[in-house]
Amino acid sequence: MRLCTGLVMAHALGALACAPEASDDRPFVAAITSDPGQLNTAITTNGGVHTAAGVLYDGLVELDLDLNPVPALARSWEIENDGALYRFHLRRDVRWHDGKPFTAADVKFTFDELLLKFHSRTRASLAPALERIDTPDAFTVEFVLRRPYAPLLQQLNVEEAPIMPRHVFATGDPLRNPANTAPVGTGPYRFVSYTSGSEIRYAANETYFRGAPAIANVVLRVIPDPAVQVIALEAGEVDWLFGVPGPERNRLRQDRRFVVEQSPGYSGGSNCVSTLALNLDNPVFQDIRLRRAVAHAIDRQQVVERVLFGEGRVADAPISSGIRFAHASGLPVPSLDTAAASRLLSEAGWQRRANNVRTSGNVRGVRDGTPLTVRFVTMPGQTQYGDLLRAQLRVVGIDLRITTMESAVFSETVFKARDFDTAIISYCNGTDPEIGVRRQYVSSSIGPVPFSNAAAYSNSEMDSLFDAAASAIVVEKRTSLYRRIQELAVRDQPYVWLAETLSTRAHSARCTGFTISPHFVATARCRD
Amino acid sequence: MYGIHDLAALRCYSALSRLTNRFVVRRLIQAVPTVLGIVLLGFVLVHAAPGDPVLALAGENGDAAYYEFMRERFGLDRSLPEQLLTYFTRVASGDMGVSYVQGRSTVALIAERVPATLLLTTSALTIAVLVSIPLGALAARRPHGARDVGINATVLVVYSAPSFWLAQLAILLIALKLGIVPVQGMTTAGSAASGIGHILDVARHLALPAIVLSLQELAALVRLTRSGLIDELHRDHIRTARAKGLSESRVLLRHALPRAALPAITVIGARAGQLIAGTVVIEIVFGWPGIGRLMLASIQTRDTPLLLTLFMTIALTVVLANLITDLIHGILDPRIRVS
Repeated sequence: MRLCTGLVMAHALGALACAPEASDDRPFVAAITSDPGQLNTAITTNGGVHTAAGVLYDGLVELDLDLNPVPALARSWEIENDGALYRFHLRRDVRWHDGKPFTAADVKFTFDELLLKFHSRTRASLAPALERIDTPDAFTVEFVLRRPYAPLLQQLNVEEAPIMPRHVFATGDPLRNPANTAPVGTGPYRFVSYTSGSEIRYAANETYFRGAPAIANVVLRVIPDPAVQVIALEAGEVDWLFGVPGPERNRLRQDRRFVVEQSPGYSGGSNCVSTLALNLDNPVFQDIRLRRAVAHAIDRQQVVERVLFGEGRVADAPISSGIRFAHASGLPVPSLDTAAASRLLSEAGWQRRANNVRTSGNVRGVRDGTPLTVRFVTMPGQTQYGDLLRAQLRVVGIDLRITTMESAVFSETVFKARDFDTAIISYCNGTDPEIGVRRQYVSSSIGPVPFSNAAAYSNSEMDSLFDAAASAIVVEKRTSLYRRIQELAVRDQPYVWLAETLSTRAHSARCTGFTISPHFVATARCRD
Repeated sequence: MYGIHDLAALRCYSALSRLTNRFVVRRLIQAVPTVLGIVLLGFVLVHAAPGDPVLALAGENGDAAYYEFMRERFGLDRSLPEQLLTYFTRVASGDMGVSYVQGRSTVALIAERVPATLLLTTSALTIAVLVSIPLGALAARRPHGARDVGINATVLVVYSAPSFWLAQLAILLIALKLGIVPVQGMTTAGSAASGIGHILDVARHLALPAIVLSLQELAALVRLTRSGLIDELHRDHIRTARAKGLSESRVLLRHALPRAALPAITVIGARAGQLIAGTVVIEIVFGWPGIGRLMLASIQTRDTPLLLTLFMTIALTVVLANLITDLIHGILDPRIRVS
């Protein structure tokens, strides 16, 4: 024991005297918040896994900033049968990290055995539309659909559909395949090592089909505390942050050693709209006047400033402006107007004495004299929403009761038990309304699925509009259908669309040339 | 000199071997129902708590068919008693299950993380013991003197401060401003060091989290050592020792301290569980790759198999820590050995 203590002391002292080891090929270090556990992005939609492992893989296509598909593993494609058949011609020069050639069989296998079984988002959106996948030859893949399907290309990028090697996953249970923690992909970086809870190391793929990345070594470092991530960046231990907490953002902006950028994309979710869902199961919210009154009572600019610390903009339509062809402008979305809110509430039978909470008088389904108390359930990360909305709604005589619960319980309470009146839900619209907007409004997605139709909004016209928009191939036709969808949504107001949220990334000014894709670092360079 | 050392070692050894027979066997037998009970309780609590592992796992936008498919895969579609029976049958055959989230054996996952937590907690305890005994002795020398009051007040402030705050403060001041030690992690990111270089790298990263973790223990130990010593210094055998003309430091170290240390050691053993709980916060703030963070993640994702194996690991650790405490007791206090 004594000897051991001596050793520890000697080490500690020696260590304090030593400077960090200087190294010529210093790796590029990116901080991640959670240990991903495994690195196979085809079997999960977990944002942490996608952030950590995105650089290892490719999709058939990539999406540019306007969400238009550009070639990746597929060098070209054609669409036939009015959009019911998509034929992809694959690159012939792609090799897996283990040297084996990439072929059409890998694509078919990935969809049939991994994505359409385990990737919950791709499974939910694509499986009902897809008839089968054919491989006429080693470098051609055909998606045969049950009906014309417009948004297919938007679901084939590396996040929604990363392609995995068939020869690695062909046997055994894919969820327990050792390759999930020592993966083989086609992407710009290849896997080197994974130390649980600590870091994952990648090295440049020298034979990448777009050419080897300039930065030779990348380390993804697990740092759970966002505030400590910022300190680690300031101390030079880390070069890249995927997110910066609100209060720290300005400090980093003012420091010339760092570059702070905002983007609408997150890994595992993009074009997110922070939304207040109003539970239509509650008789109080079945009255449209109540839903409008809540919308008029909320100062959404304050939400952007005080809750999001400027990381976002007030939402002016139900669909995010990030999906340009679908976003409608000039809609009559209710804005802050407390007088209008008070009038609507009084009309609906909720009367107010002095500055008290309103009480009911002659409201259908509600006993007279019931106070207008609304339950707001929330997760720990969203408590500022609750505090601000409580203050804003109190002005017009609505009493917001806040219950905070852990996220696993939140999902169950809101979507399964439906035991809430209002809740904040971040609906990530993704790259096409079919991916992230449909589930919010169609009646078939009322049920025990997280991030589905929380309001329990049901309107058969809305359902058929979404079906029509999914199978319309001409973009202009889709644009007009989504406009109609948004007009209907604004008229019925099952949700209050608060803000389009952005994500903030920060990196050392020493490095430039990043993109917002999951391959963020592949195009970057660093000065010494 | 050699002779004395050999003798002491021999005495320790024979005491240990005699104790081993009695304590270890009995304690280990006692541990079996304790650990099983904890796992059973854990199983019931985890399932009684709201939150569905499949909902937690699927994240956004699955569909009903997907949830059903995953439930079936994990056996969550069966009744709770059935699940419990399956679980215990597996455990009895030595299969601790596979993590829902990571798809790997829970034992392997925990084994990867245990060394980090063990290193952190034993270092923190070592620091706490090494610092608290001299501090406690200093304070006890003249009770209610300036030094005593100063030490007491400092220790009380440290004890009352929340550890996540102390940890962040330490990172800001010592790691960022002074730059003496790294901010986070257990090794330098991407470090290729091995052998002695690796040990030094780990030691640099260990210093700050171990010190912060030790502070809470330190506070309790200083106060215990102080009060134990004050009691002890008024006893007859100390008066005798002083009358024999022994130096004050020899009286303190040889005659008073070993007996005064007994309550402190009991407390250290009893706090093993709490120390592990304390590492959760420290591991998160310092990005230390131990089991505390693994436990938090497995609670958040409702990863029941992993959580239950963690419960079992921690229960065993606490049982083991108490066993070691008893063994040390036996060495320090001859009366315990005789009885």
